[in-house]
This record gives sequence, structure tokens and C-alpha cells, in this order.
Amino acid sequence: MLKYLALEIRRSIRDRRYLLLVAGWPVAAYLLFSTVFGSAADRTEGLAPTVEIMVAMASFGAMGGVLMASGPRLAMDRQLGWLRQLRLTPLSPARILAARLMAAMALSLPAIVLTFIVAVLVKGVSLPLWEWPLLVLLIAAGCLPFAAIGIVVGTIADGDGAQGLTMVLYLVLAALGGLWMPVQILPSPLQTVAKTLPSYHLAQLGWHIARGVAPALGDGLVLLAWFAGAALLAVAVSRRLTLRTA
Amino acid sequence: MTYHPSATGSPVASRSTSPDSGDDAVRVDGVTRRFGAVLAVDNVSLSVGHGETIALLGPNGAGKTTTISMLLGLSAPDSGRIEIFGSTPGSATAHANVGAMLQDGGMMPGVLVGELLAMVRSLYEAPLALGEVVEIAQLGGLEKRRVDRLSGGQSQRLRLAMALVGDPRLLILDEPTAAMDVETRRGFWHAMEGFTERGRTILFSTHYLEEADVAADRIVMMARGRVVADGTPSAIKDSVGLRVIRFTTEHAAIAELETLPGAVSASAHGNRVELRCSNSDSALRALIATRPDAHDIEVAGIALEDAFITITDGIAA
Repeated sequence: MLKYLALEIRRSIRDRRYLLLVAGWPVAAYLLFSTVFGSAADRTEGLAPTVEIMVAMASFGAMGGVLMASGPRLAMDRQLGWLRQLRLTPLSPARILAARLMAAMALSLPAIVLTFIVAVLVKGVSLPLWEWPLLVLLIAAGCLPFAAIGIVVGTIADGDGAQGLTMVLYLVLAALGGLWMPVQILPSPLQTVAKTLPSYHLAQLGWHIARGVAPALGDGLVLLAWFAGAALLAVAVSRRLTLRTA
Repeated sequence: MTYHPSATGSPVASRSTSPDSGDDAVRVDGVTRRFGAVLAVDNVSLSVGHGETIALLGPNGAGKTTTISMLLGLSAPDSGRIEIFGSTPGSATAHANVGAMLQDGGMMPGVLVGELLAMVRSLYEAPLALGEVVEIAQLGGLEKRRVDRLSGGQSQRLRLAMALVGDPRLLILDEPTAAMDVETRRGFWHAMEGFTERGRTILFSTHYLEEADVAADRIVMMARGRVVADGTPSAIKDSVGLRVIRFTTEHAAIAELETLPGAVSASAHGNRVELRCSNSDSALRALIATRPDAHDIEVAGIALEDAFITITDGIAA
């Protein structure tokens, strides 16, 4: 199973267009937003704008990398018959899904690391040394719900449908979850919705670390709940993965 | 009543499921599978002994692929039972006893042939050496090629390599030579001989009688979801009647014509008679000797599809 996992990751790394999209987009957005919204008065998290937006864009990119590595790719493999082929090996369906989940999780890293590097080099961001690895780790781990959501998307939608659905989910989660703008500027009913979204809590995890305080247990629990819900749904719909031909 | 050669006293020796065949590699008992209103597989029973090479022969839509999909545990029968080495299909696959090649089996895009084979090989406990698999599947020189840049025939060979790499006891191949040219096809069956010589069992599907004839010890013929014949290639060929003699005669005594040596069945449309034959040479000699009035004689081969239709019409009657 480890070799399968390794090959899934290698395949993603080889896909230049995909890498450019998942790592290039948040970095470009970081440079834009941190320049345009550079005044501290606009911010609500009690952080320097360059730091707050860095965490938001790292989360945004990580979420995108995971969603795209999980959903559309699963839909494509299902249609190509690769999953059917894989089912002829001793690898069990549970292990196949677990490996794909982990491979998708690994794809959170390029965007996080690249955004951080650009923030340090271009915007002169500086944080206590211990905060950096913790930020990388927590933002990556916080993407678990998105990997499971991607599995659901890749199972119920085919090819282009999965691509489109992933994009819509991605943008809605980012915009409503406060990754592009503070949720406080949303109308209050939407704010209530926003605060239930995994993207909102993912950013909160990072912002806590960047402030130098321990992450709130609540954020972690909400992310876990989203993961559990999506994973249950994935198991429920995953019969489609092998029993049906595309 | 089903047309089953053994049941109707034809010379085809039936090896289909009997209650005492407990140690068969494959046992299928009264399996039925529906897709909506379509009965894809209709009460199919068959068995495959250890070391046998069996051809599942039939036209498109006969139920071969559906049967194979159930043998592999990729779909479940609506009723009936399937055993592979005494356990369920899913468990047989999980325990690396079965290797398979599917028509719609896709490959992981974006990886190299060698990478993919090495990964799949790592999933088995006692796999074949990579070099051996590459050689058997004639993939030499393609290891560094991306799997999504292979031709149809090359992809098919990669599917074979993936089926073989775990050194399975049973190999199930769904129309394995479909995308191959004549030379590759020959090489393929040569490689398969090496595989069976080691006591391995092969079940493959095809719609070419010639291929089944050359490669298989036994042919299980399917049409419209049913097993319509089960026997050695020569017995199957005899019972099917693959040649037809057409001639004109003033008194078409059908029953008499059917008793001619080499003849299987006869039918008449007015004065024109059609004689279905397993051996058209003998039938023609006998015809000319006993029916001097027969004229406008022509001998033709019939397509396997037509032969299947004749047999299935026999079922419906």
C-alpha cells in the first residue's frame, strides 16, 4: 500500500499544470491581497495583514490542492477503469481509499510551503521559529475533511462534473469561510453559516498559532466532525467505485 | 428444457458442474444476473478443473463479460453461487489466487510502465520477477514509456503483465487478444502455454472459434446469457455445423438428408435445400452419390454468430 501511496504522490508531482494551479494561485493571491489590503485597520484577527493573509492563503491553497487531488482525480480514475483494475489486486477497497486520502493530503504541502516562503522573502514576514513547522503541520492536518469531501465528489460525479463541482465547492468554502475577506463583512445570517464551515476553522487554527496561542479545541472538533461526516458519506457511496463500470 | 449436448445425447462430453467436483478451480452454480429487464446471465453453471484452459466462446452480448465480472467479484450474482478455489471470488482475489485482464481495465495515468508494474508487484507476497513478466508480456523496451502513451496492443500487453505479476493460480482473461495483431496474438498464446505448463488454470473469453480451438482444452459456449454447449473443441465444432451445402432438388426429403454422413440439420424453402454440416466434404460426397438430381450445389461457411443463433433458436423452440 505504501508503494501505491508513493506512486499516487509521484504522479501528482509530475503534473506541472496541476502544481502551478494549486501553488501558484494562492501565492499570486497572497501578493495581491497583502499589497492591496495592507492596512491593519482592515483586519480582524489581531495580526499584521501580511501574516493574517499569509495564513489565509496557505489554507486556501492547501484546501484547493487537497480537493483537486482527491475528487476530480478519483472521478477520472473511475472512468478510465483504473479503479476496476486496482480491485483485481489484493489491495482492499478500504486501503485503496485510505491511500488516496493520504496522497490527497500530501498535496496540501506545496501551497503552504510556497506561500510561507514568498511571505518571508517578499513581505518580510517573521514569526518565532517554532511556529513555522507547527503552522505547516496544522494547516495540512486540518485539510482532512476536504480529502474526504473530495472522495465523495469523485464518487458521485463523473469527469468534468467532478471538476466543476470541486471548483464550486472550493470557491464557496474559501469565500464564505473567511479566507478571502473577514467573515465580519458578510450579512449576519451568512456569518452564522460561515462559522460552521471547515474552511473557517482551518484558518482559525493557523491564526491561533500565528498569534502565538494554543489552537482552540473547538476548531479541531468542528474539522473532525466534518471529516467524520464526509467519510461516512464516502463509505456509503463508495460501492459505486467498483461495482459499476463508468 | 435447455439444449445441453450431454443431456440430449450428442457426442459432446459435458464437464459441467457435478455434485462431486469439490476440488475444482472454478465452480459456478445456477448463476443469474439481470440488468434491469435484460437477463445478461441466465442460470449458468460451469466448472473448471485445475490446470485446464477453458474458452468462454460466444458472440457479443452472450454474457461472457458479465460472467467474468462475477467470477472476479466485481459484481455479485442475483442468484446462484460462485466458488474460486473453494472460497468467494472476492477472497480469492484478495489472497492473490486470481489474476485477471479486463476489457475495460484502465491504467493509472501519468506513471511509467515500469513504475506501475513494480507497484502492482509489491502488492503480492510471491510475485514473479519483474524481468520475467516483462518478457512474457513482450513489454521489453517500454518500461520507461508513460502508460497513457501506449498503443492499444501495448496497453493490452500491460494488462496481461499486471494479471501475471502476482503469479496467480488462476488467470481470467476477457477477450485478451482483441486489440492484438496476428503476430502478437501468436506470441501471446505461446506465453500462455508456458503459464499452463506450470499447472496454472486459465479461463478466457473470445468470439473467435479458431482461437478457442487452438488455445483451449475445453470450450464453454454461451449465447444469450446461457451455456449452450460445453465440450472439447472438436466435439463443439462437430455439433455446431459450421458449413452449409445449398442445392436444388425435386423431392426434398429432409429427414433422410439429415442422416447423411457429416450432416447436422437440413431445411427446405420450396425446392432449395440447406444442409448444415459438421463435415461438408463427406456430406457432399454422400449427397452426390445418393441424390443424382441435386443441382446448383454450393458450399459455404457460416459465421459463428449464425451458428449461435441456430443453437439459441433451438433453446427457444
